[in-house]
Amino acid sequence: MSKRQLAMVMDLNKCIGCQTCTVACKTQWTNRNGREYMYWNNVETYPGTGYPKNWMDLGGGFDAAGDLQPGIIPNLEADYGVPWDYNYDALQGGASFEPNVEPTWGPNWDEDEGAGLFPEDNYFFYLPRICNHCTNPGCLSACPRDAIFKREQDGVVLVDLDRCQGYRYCIAGCPYKKIYFNPKISKSEKCILCFPRIEQGLPPACAQQCVGRIRFVGFLDDEEGQVYKLVHKYKVAIGLRTDYGTQPNVYYVPPTESPVKFDAQGKIIDGSGRLPIEELEKLFGPDVHQAIKTLKSEMKKRKETGESELMDILIAYQHSDMFRLDNNYYNQVAKQNGQKALAPVDTRYKVGKYTKSGHEMNFFHDGEIPTGGHH
Amino acid sequence: MKNLTKLLLASVVSASALMASSAVTAVKVDANLDKVTYNSAIWSKAKTSKVMLYPQTTIKFNDKTANTLNEDAKAIEAKVAALYNGSKVAFMITWPDGTKSIQNSDKTDTYSDGFAIQFAEDFSDPKKLPYIGMGSDGRPVVIHLQKEAFGIYEPNGEGMVGYQVNPNQTDLFGKDLEKFEARVKSIASNDYEKNFVSEGFRSMTEIKDDTSKSYSRIGYANKAWTGTLSRPLKDEYVSLNAGAFPVAFAVWDGEKMGRNGLKHLSSWVAVVLESSASKGPLVSALHDKVSGDASKGKEVVANNGCVGCHQIEATDAPNLMGPSLSNIGGYSTSDYLRESIVDPSAVVVPGYNRNAHSNYMWYTEADGKRVSTMTDYSWLEKADLEDMVAYLKTLKAEAK
Repeated sequence: MSKRQLAMVMDLNKCIGCQTCTVACKTQWTNRNGREYMYWNNVETYPGTGYPKNWMDLGGGFDAAGDLQPGIIPNLEADYGVPWDYNYDALQGGASFEPNVEPTWGPNWDEDEGAGLFPEDNYFFYLPRICNHCTNPGCLSACPRDAIFKREQDGVVLVDLDRCQGYRYCIAGCPYKKIYFNPKISKSEKCILCFPRIEQGLPPACAQQCVGRIRFVGFLDDEEGQVYKLVHKYKVAIGLRTDYGTQPNVYYVPPTESPVKFDAQGKIIDGSGRLPIEELEKLFGPDVHQAIKTLKSEMKKRKETGESELMDILIAYQHSDMFRLDNNYYNQVAKQNGQKALAPVDTRYKVGKYTKSGHEMNFFHDGEIPTGGHH
Repeated sequence: MKNLTKLLLASVVSASALMASSAVTAVKVDANLDKVTYNSAIWSKAKTSKVMLYPQTTIKFNDKTANTLNEDAKAIEAKVAALYNGSKVAFMITWPDGTKSIQNSDKTDTYSDGFAIQFAEDFSDPKKLPYIGMGSDGRPVVIHLQKEAFGIYEPNGEGMVGYQVNPNQTDLFGKDLEKFEARVKSIASNDYEKNFVSEGFRSMTEIKDDTSKSYSRIGYANKAWTGTLSRPLKDEYVSLNAGAFPVAFAVWDGEKMGRNGLKHLSSWVAVVLESSASKGPLVSALHDKVSGDASKGKEVVANNGCVGCHQIEATDAPNLMGPSLSNIGGYSTSDYLRESIVDPSAVVVPGYNRNAHSNYMWYTEADGKRVSTMTDYSWLEKADLEDMVAYLKTLKAEAK
């Protein structure tokens, strides 16, 4: 367990499934060099297969006794989906419009399908997912090389790519399947909670860009923070599938508002709701009942009296309140550890620890590229 | 019927006795061994020895598919030869493998075949060799690993991290884009070879500062792999100039999702330099038959409750507390077994993350040193101990 823990709260009542978070993450981190298939942030339709396909059935996590459970490493074609592109360039020459690989599966293959019968009682909601930066990470427990670590200062779970040998036990061990294998570099990679942004006092890209303003970011021990209030004070934000025993640190405000059902004649069934509570219980456990009760009563209170701290928080007026980050804190941590605070441009990416040559890009440079082994 | 069982048992015992590995004689040559490969003609001068490789079952990993594939793993018979000159020593290992597997750089669940050769940094006391599985505290090993090659794009040893942009994000089109992609492909490394230093499972760390030089190649023909390694007789990690030194071998089967601990490994094998006068006590320590009585030893094991924490034979229920012993006879020296029984804390492998099985505290830490939770059996009668060791030496999978 780390000294402090950063956490994120996502308000599912407000997620519209626009994938802006997904794109923000992808363009920042995963659009290149073996990461193309990865979605460190994805938004899936629930009920649905999810991403990767049927991730909840792929094992990992801990049983009630605290023993790590075996899991399955998903297959690229069948479970994640091979990213495809189209032959735009060739169209000028009169070629027909074709994808470069035959698409057979991909994230959101079943988007907006959900469950139930249209128009009587069909339903779905969106479930955005990132790495849960768990307090007891399954990936970390599974790694035989000590390549995965949890930062003391904020509990962010990271892979040390220098130690990682590409064994992939971490993928089997993570019940959320939120750590991925990069086959181009033969190492595991995952959501880093945008730590280079966090350390500058900026929220992760997915939270910053969210148009529905559903994401709150802050330290769980910051009692003034909205994350603390949602998770601990009002207890309306709950971890996803906490039965996996990893103690996830991404919390969800469960969806409370759903349309009414229609009867066979197309008439409204008064007082009905389309979201079966059993489905929510499956995702968020028994605490979901109390959370929904609190949300409904606060909503009522707001309607009647015009006042409710909880509703004010969930309206998400100000980014400055939603994201309680502190670059002074990180500067202090760096000072205590005798390190320099992270520079706005991380020089480690400019010249890596083992980088012998600089890598200023010059795409038209025709010089020799050194090749060959290193022994 | 009873007699028949006895007869069958007897034949099993003699078969497993035949399965023991023998010492390897390194033949002295004048030739240059710097770039020796499996095709080098020089190997015709070498003497081949048999080395048995056993499935690693000490700990079980959390990959469901791989565990199913390896459930009934058998021992593998490998052939090993060694050559040396004034400065270099070269090894060749050949082992059967029905399929050639290469990790695919476009897939998430494929693995390469490969092999590793392990050297002990200090082997002055053959009774206290490093733990076979990547050494142990204060007893470091150096490991040379080579796997069937696949293009690895970054870090590729050249440190070229600048070409990891998405081709669609460059401002290149047509021929220029093709050129760019060809360049990216050309900087991918096709040589997996890596050297590690390790003081026990988990601590294994790649040597990246060029202090460990080696040349390793791997090739597949006739349903078998042949791997070769050439390295200095002496570098800052090991000195192999002594009359005899221990080595250990491991091979991986990509088809069975082999990687890391999902492998076959040998026990420590003595390599004897042909020309040296004194061979020291290493050969007898590693290859002499144990004097104890295995059937009596089985009773000693049963009477002392070992099964309370260990899975003893492969048919016993797995136990998360102590390491499984079902192949311990295959990859452990008798001295290691003796030492571990009378002084369980001498070698405590950090092994599996304790967080993975938090209720099974198989070691505690005191002053930074791991203390085994196993009972100290130093009070055992000498004869019982020898019988126990003799029995444990029989615990190993049969050959294919």
